[in-house]
Amino acid sequence: MTYHQPDNPLKTQNSKLKTIPNPVIIRLEEISKIYGSGNTEVRALSEVSLLVKQGEYCAIMGASGSGKSTAMNVIGCLDRPTSGRYYLDGQDVAQMDEQALAHIRNRKIGFVFQQFHLLPQVSALENVMLPMVYASIPLPERRRRATTALQRVGLEHRLHNKPSELSGGQQQRVAIARAIVNQPVLLLADEPTGALDSRTTQEILHIFAELNTSGMTVVMVTHEAEVARCTHRIILFRDGQVVEPYLAPENLSHAIFA
Amino acid sequence: MNLAESVKMAVATLAANRLRSSLTMLGMIIGNASVIAMIGIGEGAQKLAAEQFESLGPNVLFVAPGNSEARGTTTDVPKTLVLADAEAIAAQVPSVKDVTPQVVSRQLVTYRNRSTNASILGTNPEFLIVRSFDVAQGRFLSDLDLKRNDRVVTLGAELATRLFGNKNPVGQPVRIKDVSFQVIGVMAAKGSVLGTNYDDYAFAPATTVANRLIGQTSPYGIEVAFISVSAKDAASVDAAQFQITNLLRLRHRITGEDDFTVRSQQDILTLVNTVTSALTIMLAAIAGISLLVGGIGIMNIMLVSVTERTQEIGLRKAIGASQSDILIQFMIEAVILSAAGGAIGTVIGIGGVLLAGAATPLQTTISPVAIALAVSVSGGIGLFFGVVPARQAAKLDPIVALRST
Repeated sequence: MTYHQPDNPLKTQNSKLKTIPNPVIIRLEEISKIYGSGNTEVRALSEVSLLVKQGEYCAIMGASGSGKSTAMNVIGCLDRPTSGRYYLDGQDVAQMDEQALAHIRNRKIGFVFQQFHLLPQVSALENVMLPMVYASIPLPERRRRATTALQRVGLEHRLHNKPSELSGGQQQRVAIARAIVNQPVLLLADEPTGALDSRTTQEILHIFAELNTSGMTVVMVTHEAEVARCTHRIILFRDGQVVEPYLAPENLSHAIFA
Repeated sequence: MNLAESVKMAVATLAANRLRSSLTMLGMIIGNASVIAMIGIGEGAQKLAAEQFESLGPNVLFVAPGNSEARGTTTDVPKTLVLADAEAIAAQVPSVKDVTPQVVSRQLVTYRNRSTNASILGTNPEFLIVRSFDVAQGRFLSDLDLKRNDRVVTLGAELATRLFGNKNPVGQPVRIKDVSFQVIGVMAAKGSVLGTNYDDYAFAPATTVANRLIGQTSPYGIEVAFISVSAKDAASVDAAQFQITNLLRLRHRITGEDDFTVRSQQDILTLVNTVTSALTIMLAAIAGISLLVGGIGIMNIMLVSVTERTQEIGLRKAIGASQSDILIQFMIEAVILSAAGGAIGTVIGIGGVLLAGAATPLQTTISPVAIALAVSVSGGIGLFFGVVPARQAAKLDPIVALRST
C-alpha cells in the first residue's frame, strides 16, 4: 500500500499543513494484528499503513469488525502488532516491552474513553493529577498543572467535586483534562461522545476543536457521522484494512453508502 | 511513583471501603491478639508453676507410689507406699531433715446444720515445716495426736469460713464421716499450690485418718498418697534421693523395677516446664492458624477487589501505570490491611494479657519477642497473600479491563 499524500482531497486543511513542516506523529507501516493461529486465525488488521501528522484532527470510522478498535489499541500502545512497524513521534514502539509501553502511554498519549473512567472516590483535581503521579512529577507542580488543565476545559469551579457530583459532560471534560495534563503528542479518543446527549456532544467536540487549533493532534474513533463530520479528516476501515485514508468529512455519506 | 505516595493512595482506597477493610482486618486482629495473649498467658503459667515449686522450699523431695511409667499410664497406681515407709525414711536416712506423709480422703464434714465435702489430709506435725505452711489460730497437729489416734483437726482457712462463718472454730466439734472431731486450729490462707487448694482441706493426724476414716486399704500397711521429704541442705538433695531409693528398695524387697518414684523439686520443675512450654507452643500454634486464616481472608478480599476494580486498573494502565506500579499498589493495600490488623491485634493482645494478669494469679508477661514476631509475621502474611491478587491485577490486559463492565 502506498501513502496518499494529503494534496488534492483536503485542500482547505492542507494548505495550512504545508506552511508548517509538521512532523509525523503516527506512522504505521504494514501493521498486521492476528489473533489465534491455524484454522482459527483472525486477521484483525491486515498490513495497515497510515500517516498522521502533528496538528491533524481525524476520525477513525468503520463498521464493527472492521479493525478500527484494534487499530486504536495499537495506536494507543495498549496492544502490540503481530508484525509491521509503528513509529509514534519518531520512536519505534511496535515491539517495545510492557514497561516501556506504559511509559510511552504516560508521556505521549492522552486517552479519552466513552465511559469517562474516572476514579469515583477522588475529586476532579485528583483524577486529573493521576497521570502525573505515574510520571513522578512533584506534588505542587502536579496541582498547578491539573488546575490549568481543568481551567482549559472550563471546570475551574469544580476542582474538588467528585465524579458523582458532576454531569456526564462535565465528567468527560475532567477526562479530557486528565488526557492533556501530561502534554501528550497525541490525544486519542474512543467514542468520546457515545454516552452523551447531543448538546453535551457539541460541547465536547468544541473542546476537541479548540485543543486541535492550539496544535494538539487528535484522533477519535466514532461511529457517529455527525461527530466525524466535525473533524478534518476521516480514516475509513473495512475488513482490517484502511479503505479511505484521506476522506474529506463532506464526502462521508458518499463513502459510507458506496 | 514513590512509596509514600503509594501508601497514601492505598490508605485512601481502603478508607473508602471502611466496613470491608475493617472486617478484613478483623482476621488479623484476632490472630495477633490471640498469639500475644496465648504466649503471654502461657509464659505466665510457666512462671507461676516455677514460683510455686520454689515456694515449697528448695530442698524438698517427693516420694510417690508407682514407678514413673505406671504413673504415666494409669490412675490406679499401686498402693505400695505406706506410713511405715515414711517413718523408716525419717529414722534411717541421714541426709533427711523432716518427713511428712500425706494420706488423702474426701469426706463429708458437718458442723451443726452446715455440711460440706472436703478433702481430709492425714499427715504429721512436720507438714508445716516441709511444706512451709502456717497456723493462724490455735495449733497444728502434734506427735502426741498421732500417737494417740486423736480425733483432732486443723481446718484450712476457707473450709473454716464455710463451716463457721465469723465464729471462732477452735474448740468446736465437727463430724467427719460420722466421727466426731475437735477443731484445734485454723491454717493461714495460702492460696492454691499447683492446682491444689489446701485452704479447703482439713488436716488430721495420719493415723486417725487411716484408722478411723479410711481403714487399711493396702496390704502393706496404711497407704499414703505421697511422702514429702526435706533434705538437710541443697547439697544433700541428690544424696537423699539416692538413699531414700535404696531404703525403699530394701523395704519393698525390690530386685527389678522400682514400685515408687522419688522426685526432687528440680525434677518436677523440669517436668512441669516441659508440659507448660508444650502447652504454650500448642496455644501459639492455634493462634498461628487464626493468623493464617486472617491472611486467607485478606487474599480473598483482595481478589474481590481486583475483580471489582478491573476498570480502574485498566484506566491506570492506559494512563501510564506499569505492571510493577499496579503490583506495588495492590501489595501495599494487602500489607497495610494485615499490618494495621496486626498492630491493632497486638494492642488488644497486650490488653488481654494485662487483664489476665490482673484477674488471675498468673504473672503474665508481655513478650517483646512475641510482639515483634506477630507484627512481622502479619506483615509477611500480607505480602504472601497479597502477591496472588496483586499479580492478577498487574497482569490484566488494559484493553480487556477497560471494556469490562
